[in-house]
Amino acid sequence: MKMKLLTKTTNSFLAYAIIILLIAAPLFYFICQQLYIYETDEVLHFHKGAFIQESHRNFTQNDIDLWNKYNHEVMIIPDMGVRKDSIVGKMIYDSIAREKEPFRVLYAPVDINGKRYTYTERINLLEMEGMVFSIAGMFLFIIIILLIGIILISKITAVKIWKPFYDTLNQIHDFEIDKNKAPHFIPTDIDEFDRLNKSLEKLIEKNTAIYQNQREFVENAAHELQTPLALFQTKIDTLAQLDLNKDQSEVVASLNTDVSRLNRLNKNLLLLSKIENESFLEKSTIVVNDYIKKHLDFFSEQADAKNLTINTEFTSTLTINGNPALTEVLINNLFLNAIRHNEKNGKIIITTLDNELLFSNTGQDTPLQIEKLFNRFSKTNSASQGNGLGLAIIKKITELNNWKISYTFYNNLHSFSVKF
Amino acid sequence: MKILIIEDELEIAQSIKNYFKTNGIQCETAENYNLALNKIESYDYDCILLDLMLPDGDGFDILRELKRKNKTEGVIVVSAKETLETRLEGFNLGADDYLTKPFHLSELLVRMQALIRRKNFKGNNNIIFNEITIDIFSKSVTVNNIKLDLTKKELDLLLFLIGNEKKVLSKAAIAEHLSGDMADMLDNHDFIYAHIKNLKKKLHQAGSEDYIKTVYGLGYKWENE
Repeated sequence: MKMKLLTKTTNSFLAYAIIILLIAAPLFYFICQQLYIYETDEVLHFHKGAFIQESHRNFTQNDIDLWNKYNHEVMIIPDMGVRKDSIVGKMIYDSIAREKEPFRVLYAPVDINGKRYTYTERINLLEMEGMVFSIAGMFLFIIIILLIGIILISKITAVKIWKPFYDTLNQIHDFEIDKNKAPHFIPTDIDEFDRLNKSLEKLIEKNTAIYQNQREFVENAAHELQTPLALFQTKIDTLAQLDLNKDQSEVVASLNTDVSRLNRLNKNLLLLSKIENESFLEKSTIVVNDYIKKHLDFFSEQADAKNLTINTEFTSTLTINGNPALTEVLINNLFLNAIRHNEKNGKIIITTLDNELLFSNTGQDTPLQIEKLFNRFSKTNSASQGNGLGLAIIKKITELNNWKISYTFYNNLHSFSVKF
Repeated sequence: MKILIIEDELEIAQSIKNYFKTNGIQCETAENYNLALNKIESYDYDCILLDLMLPDGDGFDILRELKRKNKTEGVIVVSAKETLETRLEGFNLGADDYLTKPFHLSELLVRMQALIRRKNFKGNNNIIFNEITIDIFSKSVTVNNIKLDLTKKELDLLLFLIGNEKKVLSKAAIAEHLSGDMADMLDNHDFIYAHIKNLKKKLHQAGSEDYIKTVYGLGYKWENE
């Protein structure tokens, strides 16, 4: 699964925090407990030292009995054989709480009036439990607050930090080299993003320049060809006026065909590059049916050579919004294609629907190869007179207007449909 | 009739000159802007053929100069530039017609004839060829005073043929003339055969001689033998 960068960093952050918390909580509790016990033991030692210092060594047996009578925590009992100070943890029954409670008990040898006694003192650890718990709780609370804060802050700053990156990402996603609109990246003070933007800018600039160059090349080449073509044409016209024999006439006639073809090719290349340069931007409303009706005579004339039948099925009035010149080129090309690739005594059916124009024609009895159909100079039939630009031009025009061109072969009819 | 060809491609100018010569049209040439201005200043022409891209100047400036000097010569712009904008600018500056390179000499000739006819219009606008009379204004054709029923294309074709008298016209040139703006797309010129046949038939039925000759392989020719 693809994850957002921010989610990913936050997730690992959270995982780390949880692990640390799980390990830290018991460890912290244990350390607190040990510290408290250590402190308690210190107090025990201190009390014993004070007891010895405060000249309790002069106690008589009576004093000791009396001391023991009033003191429950600190007692002087007959020698238990303790040689040096020792502290042990013990569970002792508490009559008030009526349960066993944890205690630290100090056993120390003391000499009173030359006689050896054992000094015992106990401190209840019950307070410690509560204290450790509240300290641990507070500590945890602080840690959690801290973590939440850190995560929130890092998230907010991350959003801020990554903003130029996402902006750049969106811009290059929307970038199209054939539209004259270079992306404009937001300036950033982060070195890496700045480098990314600069590199992208350079890359786009370079590629746009190459693209532009190539586009201009096609246009310039086509333009430059017009003068030699004009020379060629006028010279053939001049040549045709001479008193030619049959063979010579044939050569001149075929030269005529060639120059026509060259001329057409050149005009189509110019048209293509002009479409790419968006020279046809102004739009108006066009009634497709009317245009076809108006020029039907012209096309019928062209179709007569193959004795084609042209049927128009205007099921609805197709009104579209587009550049008039290009729309005419589109319809003309579709129509001429249907004539050019037809067979003798074949037929052409022109259908207009609500938002679709359909040209269906008879022709070769196998479907055309769809993959290469709309590429420049792809010709399905090398014997055909077409220059392989007709469908490329159609495709370009539909792309420019966001229309959809598709090809189907059904019932031995080749159909080109334009959805507006 | 005298015309000026302003064209930096000398060979094109020469071809036009040769083609027009046999139709009684005298051509002078100017291969650059300055020479063209000098000639316009010194002489009057019936028509000027103007190439827009000159080595030392812009063809549009010549149009401006003509306008400034109140010269009335008809101007046909002959240019490789074929955008709508340049066309419109040309017409705005006073050009009368616009022809894109490459072109057929026959096309240029009839366009020029039509332009000169418009310019010299003096109430009578008939083209007369022996027994055939064409009234350009009412678009009617008579043969020995018998009115012919011609389609628009047939009339167009007749004018094209007569205008290019004694010239071999290729099928391509005729087809392109007849189809106007659509000409660029045509890859088959056989459709003109039907028009030629119909025109021949109608002329013959009206008692006209057969002036339309077929030139083997190449095309047709209007000739009075």
